[in-house]
Amino acid sequence: MPAVSICTDSFRVPAQAMAQAYGFPGFEFATVPHPIASLDTGQIEARARDVLPEVLRILGLES
Amino acid sequence: MGTTAVPSGGTPPRDDAPLADPAEIRRAMEYYADRGWTDGLPVVPVTESYLAEFLATTSRDPDEVLMPMPQLNRQCTVRLAAINAALAGCRPDYFPVVLAAWDSLTREGYATRGIWQSTTGTAPLLIVNGPVRERIGLNSQGNVFGSGFRANATIGRAIRLGAINALGLRPHQLDQATQGTPAKYTACIAENEEESPWPPLHAQFGLDPSDSAVTAMIIRSCLHIEARHTTVPEQLALDITGTISRTGALIHETISALVVLSPEHARLFARAGWGPDDLSRFVYEHAVRSRAELAAVGKDAIARQTRWRLPAGHPDAVPDQAQGGETPDVVRVLNSSGAVLVVVAGANNAGVSAVVETFGPRGGPPPVVRVPDPGRPG
Repeated sequence: MPAVSICTDSFRVPAQAMAQAYGFPGFEFATVPHPIASLDTGQIEARARDVLPEVLRILGLES
Repeated sequence: MGTTAVPSGGTPPRDDAPLADPAEIRRAMEYYADRGWTDGLPVVPVTESYLAEFLATTSRDPDEVLMPMPQLNRQCTVRLAAINAALAGCRPDYFPVVLAAWDSLTREGYATRGIWQSTTGTAPLLIVNGPVRERIGLNSQGNVFGSGFRANATIGRAIRLGAINALGLRPHQLDQATQGTPAKYTACIAENEEESPWPPLHAQFGLDPSDSAVTAMIIRSCLHIEARHTTVPEQLALDITGTISRTGALIHETISALVVLSPEHARLFARAGWGPDDLSRFVYEHAVRSRAELAAVGKDAIARQTRWRLPAGHPDAVPDQAQGGETPDVVRVLNSSGAVLVVVAGANNAGVSAVVETFGPRGGPPPVVRVPDPGRPG
């Protein structure tokens, strides 16, 4: 199943390091603004709405 | 050009100081620092012949994997552990303790499950028991968590450098600690068995007191208990319990702790007939928070998947175990008396002890690993 990794922007560098460790230095993933853990339901839904175009682009569904 | 070392205390130069070329020494140190092979402090240059002295202290294969880290495509082998022990400033005869420390950490389990990458920012704590303490000069007495003792300082550091160099756990990259802890430089203590009224830690868990052993834990904080005021064991035990049950420590449904008693405090308990198990049981029974106290800080329920504490109103919240028990408004912060371990360390000079907050709920026996005696490598 096609999948896209999403993390907060605070984890961009560690995520790139993990991709490198697995031999995929150019691995694409989506980021959302930090934080996530302390948000309420409405704020989480907003994060999801905002990141959706980037998720679709990585999946190759932008057009 | 060779020159003698300048004494660090302002005394006149000594005739027995070694001749060395300071420019070459600095060049070697800068070489290691430039490659990111340090914890920020200078390291000892390692040659193949120096490495061989470390490997000669064990019969284990240099390629044997001590700690696998498959999620990072990395592992720490005997050879990599030896290189990093040498870098850290260990003497070769410390290496069997370093090997036992890696074995204990692997058995402990949180490191291989990724906790050293976590934002929590933990560090390993090593507790050493038995005759090896005296043999290599490990400090178990005054300033036991502090500086000043090569074996303590460098054995703990050997694990940190191994994490950085063998496992690739560099801060800002794969080590994502939000703040970390000073224990990440080094954290290795010996138990003060000579001034303890009780059997040492390794003997509490099945080894002979004449064995040497390392017991590793993953820790977050080391909290100070000042209690010079009392000779009543229940008062001292409640002071310790109050520190263990602070709400800031409650990340999981329950937590765990290591109590490092000074000899004075241990003897206070022993005089009243308490053993380490009695203290653990007392702490377990009294380490509670009221439901209202937990609600006030938003930790009165747990998450469905992670079982981390969160507010009861959170969409992922499910009741904690206490909620379904006989006293739902009294919440235990420990899952069993086994979640509190007790050792004795420090000088016998004051009513000062420490609570070390260990990671995870725990409750089972700790990973006590025997250090082979010299002449019986293995």
